[in-house]
Amino acid sequence: MHESTKRLSYPYIVWISIIIIIPMLLIFLYSLIDPSDGNPMAFRLTIDNYVKFFSPIYISTLARSLWIAVWSTLACLLLGYPLAWVIAQCHPKKQSSLLLLFIMPMWINMLLRTYAWISILGKNGILNNILEFFHLAPVDIMYTDFAIILGMVYNFLPFMVLPIHTAIAKVDKNLIDAARDLGANNRQVFSKVVFPLTLPGIITGVIMVFLPAVSTFVIPQLLGGGQFMMIGNLIEKQFLLTGNWYFGSALSMILMIFILLSIWLMKRFDSDGQAGGALPW
Amino acid sequence: MTKTPLIEIKNLTKEYDGDIILKGIDLTIHEDEFVTLLGPSGCGKTTLLRIIGGFDTPTSGEVVFKGKDLIQIPSYKREINTVFQKYALFPHLNVFDNIAFGLRMKKVPESEITERVNRMLKMIKLTDFANRRIDSLSGGQQQRIAIARALVNRPKVLLLDEPLGALDLKLRQDMQYELKEIQREMGITFIFVTHDQEEALTMSDTIVVLNDGLIQQIGTPVDIYNEPRNRFVANFIGESNIVDAVMIEDYKVKFEGHVFECVDRGYNPNEAVEVVIRPEDLQIVDKEKGAFTGVVDSVIFKGVHYEIIVMVEGREYIVHSTQSAEVGSVVGMIVAPADIHVMEVGI
Amino acid sequence: MKKGLMMFVASIALLLSACSRDTREKLYVYNVGEYIDREVLNLFEEEFNCKVIYELYDSNETMYQKIKAGGTNYDVAFPSDYMVEKMIKDDLLIPLDYELIPNFQYIDEKYKHLPYDPENSYTVPYFWGTVGILYDQSVIKEPVDSWSVLWDDAYKGNVFMYDSQRDSLMVALKLLGYSMNTHDIEELEEAKQLLIDQRPLVYAYVTDQVIDNMISGNAALAVVYSGDATYIMDENENMNYVIPKEGSNIWVDSMVIPKTAQNVELAHEFINFMQRPDIALMNTEYVMYSTPNTETLKMVADQEWTQNDAYSPSEELLATLPMETFRDPGEFIKQYDDIWTQVLAAPNRR
Repeated sequence: MHESTKRLSYPYIVWISIIIIIPMLLIFLYSLIDPSDGNPMAFRLTIDNYVKFFSPIYISTLARSLWIAVWSTLACLLLGYPLAWVIAQCHPKKQSSLLLLFIMPMWINMLLRTYAWISILGKNGILNNILEFFHLAPVDIMYTDFAIILGMVYNFLPFMVLPIHTAIAKVDKNLIDAARDLGANNRQVFSKVVFPLTLPGIITGVIMVFLPAVSTFVIPQLLGGGQFMMIGNLIEKQFLLTGNWYFGSALSMILMIFILLSIWLMKRFDSDGQAGGALPW
Repeated sequence: MTKTPLIEIKNLTKEYDGDIILKGIDLTIHEDEFVTLLGPSGCGKTTLLRIIGGFDTPTSGEVVFKGKDLIQIPSYKREINTVFQKYALFPHLNVFDNIAFGLRMKKVPESEITERVNRMLKMIKLTDFANRRIDSLSGGQQQRIAIARALVNRPKVLLLDEPLGALDLKLRQDMQYELKEIQREMGITFIFVTHDQEEALTMSDTIVVLNDGLIQQIGTPVDIYNEPRNRFVANFIGESNIVDAVMIEDYKVKFEGHVFECVDRGYNPNEAVEVVIRPEDLQIVDKEKGAFTGVVDSVIFKGVHYEIIVMVEGREYIVHSTQSAEVGSVVGMIVAPADIHVMEVGI
Repeated sequence: MKKGLMMFVASIALLLSACSRDTREKLYVYNVGEYIDREVLNLFEEEFNCKVIYELYDSNETMYQKIKAGGTNYDVAFPSDYMVEKMIKDDLLIPLDYELIPNFQYIDEKYKHLPYDPENSYTVPYFWGTVGILYDQSVIKEPVDSWSVLWDDAYKGNVFMYDSQRDSLMVALKLLGYSMNTHDIEELEEAKQLLIDQRPLVYAYVTDQVIDNMISGNAALAVVYSGDATYIMDENENMNYVIPKEGSNIWVDSMVIPKTAQNVELAHEFINFMQRPDIALMNTEYVMYSTPNTETLKMVADQEWTQNDAYSPSEELLATLPMETFRDPGEFIKQYDDIWTQVLAAPNRR
């Protein structure tokens, strides 16, 4: 029984090796190849590609990406948690249709949805037309970092709402009654009971937003007007424009290390596996 | 000793989705009293408890607590704590923090918290469990922690919503005694909800029997058992034989073709009544010595006694006896006057 | 029973589809998006009884990579001047048989024998143009004649630059008086610094989005291709186009036949067809890019949308300005790209 189940996983292992492990090894290899060599097969290994990263321009690119990703994630969290909460309070049947409504835009190509924002945020776009109609001052949002964050929040909000909603729905209503019974007012019920219990959902949501936010290049390109080169754009340019795949690979490795670091950090907030009183009061 | 009233419930009704769950409850609960709300599923006992606890609001009626209107006060401000049916312990906190929760909400100083919680742990005999996670505990342990979590706050009233339901028989019986002990020691009013009449009889000072949203009877366990006010209470508490009878005159009732002496009075002469006799009060004797006779239909050994079904002209009598009888034999039945309880018809 | 029926229906369908197989010749054409009047393809198909399979690419570089990688069979492609040079170097093109392209006679001499293909062995010009400044006359009252206007603080946040290293570096190099094809690192560093200094003034670095943006008048200044400018000016009468006095890039897009072409003869017919004056007319009217076809030029000469320096800059004008064609920088392109990346990555923005 055990043996045959194991054998079922072999095709999966082969698949994963081909589409994930081998490419990653290739990228790792490329990142170590000397770019001044015309012929990549010459195999002169060097860490120059990594050293190249440690100059103000490229470090600032990564810093900018982290900055925008953090703000986008925060915005998603502050918007997403209340939204998930409201949906969770509705009748169970209504909940699934509300969630479906929320997810449906995701079925449309991300590029198209981001383009839509261009026509909304432009100087003579829909937003300004509405403001004008109400005799309000027009806003100049397009091609700013605010536009990028807006685009990110719009695209990634569902990734935050879904795991949080699941976590909230799983909270035993009796626990909330118990907390109230023991003297907790609404604010305390939330901070001492609901929030800690939904923390795993929050962490999942944060990771699922932060990851694409820090590495995406489409949104900053379209909504930032090339003004905010993020690490994703930098990597894209290495591969498609400059043709310096070696530097691009090194950048990818650096980005990957950062993402793994971030995940590890956030996992430390998940007190699962430790004694229950791990959270500070 | 008369006890001081603590909670007064006046004409309480609760309607939900077109169903009337409580149809007008009048009840007074006193200090230092162990009150049990007893009734079958759906009778409204849990709803009544939840209203007292503040987790539900009544449709009409009053709940007065120490002279003040309780309904206006939100749950977290009431001096009432609850032990929930499924314990509702906080999974993200350890045992100590669970028990300390209520004290921390009241901003009691940490040193006092430590002292009171440890005392509680000692009382429920789980001193070494302070740092344990909730999911590593057995049902009985969780239940004791739930009780400790509620009691540590020294509430005026402790509400218990069928807290022993998930425990096995032996543990349940132990906990019944423990709870009774705790109530006696702490002098807190316990309002206990159960559908198990034996549990109610064991633990309570006062039993409130509920059915279909109305109070059927309020009384001490002895009163309720010996003198059920109506057929429902008679059937619900203990086992009973209920027979149609005629009240000849005071202290005399006739059924099964025999006039029995009894201890009830106040009925009209020859009024149709119902008579309740507990199975353990019926005695099987030789057929010549019985007040009336019947045929033994079945005999089941129940450990504590034999349960013997005797058919008397098509009517079934349940008898509990420490002695067996022969199936199919004709036997006589006698009953003492004090054990004959007369009720009005059809209440 | 049901399965059998399905099989029966399926085989019938297969047979029928086999019968209606297209027996016409096929021509594979590879071009940039929005660069042709599609009607032209239908006419070609009718006249020559063939099927045109029209595929799109988004940049010269993508097209180059695909053709060089092999495994494709495009019969006709439309590379830009510097890309033609590169493809000739890499031996990717077939020399043309001009006997089959009599319409070559209509091409203006100006666009023949250009540096990237001195003997016109491989190319027939398709569209040509310049790069210049598009400006909103309702906002900018002074005359615009220099690239330096894009560095004018008065227009802070009101400038669109092109997100293309070739074109933006060209602007800076020309303004500094250097050649746009320079390999001098010092000159490039100067250009880089100039572009970095410009960043606070730039509204955005865009490509095609400049068209819609300028039609809506979202900025006062933009660097644009002359063909786009023609289109924008036709839509927004406030806009005007000028080739700055420091000179600019003059470019030509040509038709070529890759070595991997399957149907060389039909490819020649196609190229010839495209420069038939009436066909070239359809294309230029649709795409609004300048045509090198003298006959066609006569036909559009008096239309309003052609009366500007974008569509038809005068010969005198072009003679006075230091115009340059972009040359293939070879391996040096990495330097260009690197510099441009540094410009965009610089933290200096509005």
